[in-house]
Amino acid sequence: MGRYPRDTTGYSAVMFHKVLVANRGEIAVRVVRALREMGIASVAAYSDADRGSLAVRLADEAAYLGPSPSSESYLRIDRVIDAAKRHGAEAIHPGYGFLSENAEFAEACATAGIIFIGPPAEAIRKLGSKTAARQLAIAAGAPVVPGTERALTGWEQARAAANSLGYPVLLKASAGGGGKGMRRVDRESELQSALRDAASEAGRAFGNSEVYVEKLVIEPRHIEIQILGDHHGNLIHLGERECSIQRRHQKVIEECPSPLMSSHPDLREHMGQAALKVARAAGYTNAGTVEFLVDRDANFYFLEVNTRLQVEHPVTELATGLDLVEWQLKIAAGERLTLRQEDVTWRGSAIECRIYAEDPDHDFMPAPGTIVHLSEPSGPGVRLDSGIFQGWNVPLEYDPLLAKLAVWGSTRETAIHRLDRALAEYVLTGVRNNIAFFREVLADAEFREGRLSTSFLERFFKTRKKTEADPESEAAAALVLTLESNGSGSPPLTKVSTNVSRWLDSGREELLR
Amino acid sequence: MKRRVIVNGRSGTIKIEGSRLRYDREDGVLIEGEFSLEGTSVLLNGRSYRVSKGAGTEIWVNGRELSMDVFDPRDLRPGQGMAANHGRQEIAASMPGKVIRILVAAGDTVEEGQGLIVVEAMKMQNEMKSPKSGRVVDVRVRPDATVGAGEILVVVE
Repeated sequence: MGRYPRDTTGYSAVMFHKVLVANRGEIAVRVVRALREMGIASVAAYSDADRGSLAVRLADEAAYLGPSPSSESYLRIDRVIDAAKRHGAEAIHPGYGFLSENAEFAEACATAGIIFIGPPAEAIRKLGSKTAARQLAIAAGAPVVPGTERALTGWEQARAAANSLGYPVLLKASAGGGGKGMRRVDRESELQSALRDAASEAGRAFGNSEVYVEKLVIEPRHIEIQILGDHHGNLIHLGERECSIQRRHQKVIEECPSPLMSSHPDLREHMGQAALKVARAAGYTNAGTVEFLVDRDANFYFLEVNTRLQVEHPVTELATGLDLVEWQLKIAAGERLTLRQEDVTWRGSAIECRIYAEDPDHDFMPAPGTIVHLSEPSGPGVRLDSGIFQGWNVPLEYDPLLAKLAVWGSTRETAIHRLDRALAEYVLTGVRNNIAFFREVLADAEFREGRLSTSFLERFFKTRKKTEADPESEAAAALVLTLESNGSGSPPLTKVSTNVSRWLDSGREELLR
Repeated sequence: MKRRVIVNGRSGTIKIEGSRLRYDREDGVLIEGEFSLEGTSVLLNGRSYRVSKGAGTEIWVNGRELSMDVFDPRDLRPGQGMAANHGRQEIAASMPGKVIRILVAAGDTVEEGQGLIVVEAMKMQNEMKSPKSGRVVDVRVRPDATVGAGEILVVVE
C-alpha cells in the first residue's frame, strides 16, 4: 500500500489514494493494472453485463452503474460521479470512448470535487468538435484538409459545399471518432442518403447528429502524434503511430515508428511541432493525440485531436519505454512533466493488432457470444492487453474489441515475424474473431514493404485468398471429433472452464470417500 | 471405428483402429498414419497439432479454422438436404441486436438488393437487403425491438 514514491519529485503534488475507472473491457484492465503498480486503490465501474468482467475481478473495489445499455450506465454522468463519491475516489480515469471526451462530464467532475484524468473541459470543448478543431488548427498554423469549417445546416448547403470541393468527399460527425457517423460520397446522387445515415449514426453514437464535409484525400496514410502536457506549461510529443490499416475508418493495426519515417527522417519532428502548436493553442494538458492524414508526397494535414488516451497507446509505450497511463495519473495529480523532449527516444519497432469479436469472412459482422476456449500468446517481446477470459460472455451492447496484441522487435521485420508467431499461438474459439485474418495481412507483400494507406484493406480484400488448413489438420480435427463423439476422447474439448478451484474439487472428492 | 466427415463443405471418411487413422477425402486426398491424443494436443506421424472446438461446427487447428461435422454413417436418415425453395424468403437476424429503422411495409413491392430493415448490434448499423424481387408479405418486428439471432424479421415472396 502506498508504495508510490510521493515525494521524490520534490513538488507539492499529492498522489491519489483511490481512483475510479469509468470504463470497461481491456482499457479498464489496463488502468486498473497501472493503479495497482502505483499503489493506488482502484474502483472498477460496471454495468449489469460487466458484473463478471476481468476488470471487476482485478480491481480492489467495484461500483455498480446501472443496466447494460451504455446510455444507462457508462454514459450516465450522474451515476459515474455518484459511484466515485460512494467509494471515496479522488479522481476518475475515463479510458477511451464513453465519457472520455465529454466536456460536460469533465466539468461535472470538477463541480463534485473530483479530478478528471484528462485535459481541461475547455480544451475538450475547443477540440471535441471537429469543425472547431479545424478552425483552431488553421489559426495555430497547422496544415488542414480543405472542407467546410462549420457543421452543415441542411441538404442544400451540403450539396453546394460538396460540389465546390469536388467529389469524392467525406462526411464526418462533428463529435465523432472510430468511424461512426462517417461516410464516403463519390457522387451527388449518394449525398442525401449518406447525409441521413451519417447524421442518424452520429446521433445515436454521440448524442450529437452534426455532420460536416471534407475533400477526400486519395489513399492517404493515417499518422498521429502522441502528446503529453502538464499543468506547469510543459508540453512534449512522443512521436508518431501509423494507423493506416483501417476498415470503415476503424483502426485495426497500428505501429511505431511509421515505416514512412525511414525515408523521411525529418517528418516526425515536423509533425510533432505541428501537433504541439495545436495543443498549445487549445491549452492542452494530460495525454492526447493529434491525428494527421499524410498524402503520397508525405505532405501532412491536421485531421483532429483525440482528447484522451488512445486504444493504440501500447505501441508508443513499447517504442519509447514510457508508461502513458502512469504519466496521465501523475499529471492529473499536479506533478511536473520531468521528461523533456530530448529525453524521448525511440527504439526498435512495435506493432499492435486489435482482436475483435467480428467475422472477417462476413463483412466483419460483430459476433457476440461466449468464449469457449482461450489460450493466450506470450513469450519474448509480446504484450497482450486483454479484457476477456475463457467462459466470458462477450456482450452485444458494446464495441466488439476483445484484446490488443502488441509486439516489440529490434526491426520492423523482426516485429512482423514475432507478431505472426504470437498470433499463431493465440487460440480463441466460440466467438468469431479476426486472429487468423491478421496473419493473412502480415503475409501481404505491400504490408511487409511498409507501403500502407487507409485503402490498404480494400485492396487487400480484392486479392485475398483465404489460407485453408491442410489435410493433415483436417485429419487431426476429425480424429478429435470422432473420439469425442464416441466418448473415448481425452478430457472433453468443449467443456467451458467453470473457474472452480482444483482444491475445491479434490476437497469434495475427499468428503465423498 | 468409421465416421463420415463434412469439412468446409467437402466430404470424406475417417477410420480409426487402435493408434492408426486413415482420413480419406472424396476428392482423392488421403492421410494415413500413427496418432496420439492428449487433451487438445494431437500428434500425427510425429507432427504436432493443437485442436480446439468452438461453437457449432467451428474447430481450430494450429490457428486455422475449419467447419467440421462428424457423424456415424448408420445415423444418416434419408430425405435430408436442402428444403425446396418456393420463392418465399425469410429475412432473419444473424445476431442479437436492435431494430433501428424499418424501410418497407407489408404489401410493398421490392427489388432484389433493396434495403428492408436496419438492425444495430455492437454500435454498428447494418441494412438488411431483399434477397429477391417480389412483395413484402410480413414485417414481424417494430422499430426499437430487440431481436435474437435467427429471429425472422421480414418475409418476402
